[in-house]
Amino acid sequence: MLSIKGLNKHYQNFSVENVTFDIPDGTVVGLIGENGAGKSTVIKCILGAVHPDGGEILLDGKSINRLSKSEKQKISFVFDDMGLPGELNLDMLGKVLSNVFERWNNEKFMQLVQKFGLPEKKVIKEFSKGMKMKAAIAVSLSYDSHILILDEPTGGLDPVVRDEILELIYDYNRQEKHAALISSHITSDLEKICDYIVYLHGGKVLFNEEKDELLGMYGIYCVNDRQLDELDKTAVVRVLRREYGTDILAIKQKMPRDFEFKPANLDDIMLFYSKGESVC
Amino acid sequence: MLGLLIKDLFNTRKQAVWYVAMIILFSVLSVVMQNVAFCATLGILVTVSMPLTAVAYEEKDGWQKFIVASGMNMKVIVAEKYLLGLSFALLNSVAYSVVFSVIGAEGGAAEFISPICMQFIALAVVLPIIFKFGVEKGRVYMIALILILMVALIALMPFIGDALAGNQAVFISCVVCATVIMFVASFIISVRIYSKKEF
Repeated sequence: MLSIKGLNKHYQNFSVENVTFDIPDGTVVGLIGENGAGKSTVIKCILGAVHPDGGEILLDGKSINRLSKSEKQKISFVFDDMGLPGELNLDMLGKVLSNVFERWNNEKFMQLVQKFGLPEKKVIKEFSKGMKMKAAIAVSLSYDSHILILDEPTGGLDPVVRDEILELIYDYNRQEKHAALISSHITSDLEKICDYIVYLHGGKVLFNEEKDELLGMYGIYCVNDRQLDELDKTAVVRVLRREYGTDILAIKQKMPRDFEFKPANLDDIMLFYSKGESVC
Repeated sequence: MLGLLIKDLFNTRKQAVWYVAMIILFSVLSVVMQNVAFCATLGILVTVSMPLTAVAYEEKDGWQKFIVASGMNMKVIVAEKYLLGLSFALLNSVAYSVVFSVIGAEGGAAEFISPICMQFIALAVVLPIIFKFGVEKGRVYMIALILILMVALIALMPFIGDALAGNQAVFISCVVCATVIMFVASFIISVRIYSKKEF
């Protein structure tokens, strides 16, 4: 299990503050938030590309800073900018990475390359964005990791490629004890495969909930000011005032049964939390 | 380390071939012109350019973040760039030695050893700057620093020349020692810089 406890990172104009969540074995955790919410910073802290100012990150109870190279390579990763050398073809890349990753499986890598229909002899810089992302995912699945971390893996990709990538993550997660953390602001993708959702807003965790519970818990109601005043304030999570009226995100169980509602998806929940006001 | 070196050689293969061709061309030019300076100057240029080109590609590709995330030791990441520069410095040193033996320059051992050491000193000066500021910004600081060093060297040359006149053994010892010290110090500084760097 990967645990992030009280993570802090301060920049001049932005801070990640007291971020805490777990990625339990066998689960997929979705990290959502607007652009600049701190998702990439959290992921970079986990992967050692950014040094946190406070808190700790533990892999199976051991601080990430104390892991050996072999232990650290239990975590595989896919960055939004891929990070693969552009002048290499996939054949060359396999040769390079067999000397970088201790448990590199070149046979598996080449199988994935063929499965994805990627050209072995074409240099990576000439790949399309979707092909680059598939190549990065093929790399991340070829060295026997237990945790897969993906930063915006589906951003800018067409729905067909996005679906293929989600399928791969799902397959990875079905293997014993394999877990995944996916950051994305394409919440519909996360709704398909995640078990837990962590919502980062302004560098802080606004909620960390089981996905099905989260989606079942909230409803969107269109109300007028009088109705809003009469409602149980603990039921109303956020209020969004629009030109045509007032929408509220509310806990369905606490709302009067005769009120009509629309089920809230992750996009709605994100929108209400980031733009709406609290009434409590 | 091997994986990183292979990656750089694959990634910069076009430039590497070009640099090797330049070494051969300038060596021939030195012999034809009866002047070792061509070969010596190119040695410094190639030694510095190879790791610089490799780092430039890494910055463009986002490879530095990738390799740090892969759990690779910082010392290994830094050492590989020194090794890349060294391998081209050694290649050029071989070419320079051949040219020197063919021409038979008058200055003796001091004239032979100084340009070779200068390659390593240039590498020692440039790499920490590149690691700290990146290739784009680093180039400006690098040129400024090299100019300062050159001015200082020219200013100090009469005093050094007087002090070492007629004593080549002392001169060579001083140059070699300074090179080794600068190289080791440069590596330590580079590792510290890289360890604190964020990607």
